[in-house]
Amino acid sequence: MLSAKAKTQFGNFLFVAPYLFVFAWLLVWPLMSGMGLSLFKADLFGGATFVGFENYARLMSDPVFLQAVGNTFLFVLLCVPPLAIIPLLLALLLNRSTRTAAFFRGVFFSSSVLSVTIVTLIWRMVLIPDGGFVANILAVFGLPPIPFFSDPGIVMGSMAIITVWWCLGLPMMLYLSALQQVPQDIYEAAALDNSRWWTTLTRITLPSISRTVVLVVIMQCVLQFQLFGQPQLITQGGPNGASRPIVLFIFEVGFRRWDIGYAAAASQILFAIILLVTLGQYLLSRKRTGDA
Amino acid sequence: MKTLVSILIMALAISACSPKDERTHITVQRIFGECRANVPRDQAPLRNPDGECEILTGLIDRFERENPDIDLTVNIVAWPGYDQLSAQYAAGDPPDVVSIHMSSMPDYQSRGLIVPLTAELAQDGVSAKAFTPAARQGITIKNELYGLPFDNWTPLWHINTGLFARAGLMKDGEPILPHTPEELLAQARQFKAATGKPYFVQSMINERAAYTRNLYTYLMNQKAVFFEDPKHIRLNTPEARRIVALFKQIYDENLTTKDQDYSSATQGFMNGQGGVYLVGTWMIGAYEAEANTPGQPLYKSYAVKPYPMLFGAERAAYVDGHAWVVSNRERSLKQDEAVRRFLKFLYDHNYDWSRTGHLPTVQAVAQSSQYLSLPHRRDIVALSEIGRTLPSEVQRQFAIQDIIGDELFSAIAGHKPIEQALTDAETRTNDLLFHLL
Repeated sequence: MLSAKAKTQFGNFLFVAPYLFVFAWLLVWPLMSGMGLSLFKADLFGGATFVGFENYARLMSDPVFLQAVGNTFLFVLLCVPPLAIIPLLLALLLNRSTRTAAFFRGVFFSSSVLSVTIVTLIWRMVLIPDGGFVANILAVFGLPPIPFFSDPGIVMGSMAIITVWWCLGLPMMLYLSALQQVPQDIYEAAALDNSRWWTTLTRITLPSISRTVVLVVIMQCVLQFQLFGQPQLITQGGPNGASRPIVLFIFEVGFRRWDIGYAAAASQILFAIILLVTLGQYLLSRKRTGDA
Repeated sequence: MKTLVSILIMALAISACSPKDERTHITVQRIFGECRANVPRDQAPLRNPDGECEILTGLIDRFERENPDIDLTVNIVAWPGYDQLSAQYAAGDPPDVVSIHMSSMPDYQSRGLIVPLTAELAQDGVSAKAFTPAARQGITIKNELYGLPFDNWTPLWHINTGLFARAGLMKDGEPILPHTPEELLAQARQFKAATGKPYFVQSMINERAAYTRNLYTYLMNQKAVFFEDPKHIRLNTPEARRIVALFKQIYDENLTTKDQDYSSATQGFMNGQGGVYLVGTWMIGAYEAEANTPGQPLYKSYAVKPYPMLFGAERAAYVDGHAWVVSNRERSLKQDEAVRRFLKFLYDHNYDWSRTGHLPTVQAVAQSSQYLSLPHRRDIVALSEIGRTLPSEVQRQFAIQDIIGDELFSAIAGHKPIEQALTDAETRTNDLLFHLL
């Protein structure tokens, strides 16, 4: 017999049961299926053969995959710091209740509502060396166009520029909401103490929103490790594989080659990378908070 | 409340009542875009009458009009449409008839997803002999016809004859084309010196297929057997190295446009940015329209030719094509009959489709004066005889094309030595083929 307390707790469970059911059905089950699939040699239409960890061994010796992993880390390194810092600066500038600030909050957020197709179309027109916006400006000064999409040394930087422009709206809004949670009386006390802007920023503002900074960094890491649409639409991973991220590799292997066991193994590695990086950042930030 | 619920239920019941539809339903899936706004039902297209989308939309309208007992559900998918199609097959709900590339047919045939049509076509008096050699090769797998060939297409040399004339490369109204790599380089240098423009216009960014198709054509021109069997490719060969070295030299000497993607290159040729644009049959109509429009850079300055044979006397060209295939799924006899009638209709209207610029697949059409009197068709019709697809059992040709194109651009742009790029292309392709189930 259940106790009255247990009955109440069971009743409470019913409230979350629909969510848990959908979560398990649409997230946990596919995740487990993917893990299982990664141990098989299989194509889209069945015929699976169990191969153990052979797909993982293939990945570790596949130069295209290893290059894709390197590209992905490079992209995250190029994107996440600007996506943590630029929105913070914008939020600091726009955290005021004027109409101009409200207008610019809307302007800076507007890019986030665009689909990746529109974003890449816009940036293609800006960056394409043949008659693009930047090339035309350079031509005015007699300078040659920059091969944004055909130089392996530049192409990931181009992807990062596009992505930062596209993604800075949400972090800015998160920072704004965090900034508005900081009690005003602390700033008033700092003003009474003649605290300089820099001191107020580093001693009051940043410590007060540190959890949001961690959230933004973790969120952007998770998002940017999943880079796909921009290189798929602009470069197809070229030149020389320099803009092929892991997700594009997975797409090519799974949907062009139908080698879905291999694609599933690559997906598990991507999942592990994101999980480890996220956990690492989380633990590091907790340790710092504890130290403080 | 009860009254309200009763009324709602009755309204629902009434709305669910509709006359029983006696028509036979089949689903057709196609690429080539959506242009209904430009093609009012049962009317001629408002513009671009020779466009792929316009012609096919009009043809399907006509089929529906002439076959009121058949209800076609037409799915229009974005090019190339294989992600959707694969998902539909995986979900067990593929369309009855679908347009795919001949190069993709082995993928679906090998998994039993499409059915052979030899017997069905024969019922309507259509045998393999009715098709051009290039079309026949593209749809024949293990001696069975697995599709209705709709067209063949291949890259061509689209030529700005105005610029060629300025470069002294016209004779008797015809462009002078090279016969050897050395002649090509000499003519390209002469062209650049005279016009200040590159000889070639090429899409080089976000591009893979073009490099591979060039390689295939010139390997065939050298009689190179690069697929000894459907599971192995040989690419690091003297023949392939010669081809890549030529394109690399063209790139290094700035005899081609660089840093253009497909739309820039397409527009660039239209604006007179270079002498020869390497692109497919599908652009003939658009450029011909420019050539007939006074004031345009291409006005009276356009010709189109098959790739000149640079490496030997063997006349050959890599071709692919579009074909209509029938899914292996349960259908009633009436539905099978509807599918057959649809295919026969498309067969009968092969000329209409050839107005797009693609090569006809029906031999009688290719030889007809009606077809040959279309602009430039006499120049390219031989491709329906000499054009060759890859061996019919080579699977994943799209993926292979991407891998080879990836590596070729690396070699041509100098990111990798030619030998290494060809070795990498060979290794990656063979690895893909080795791991096929």
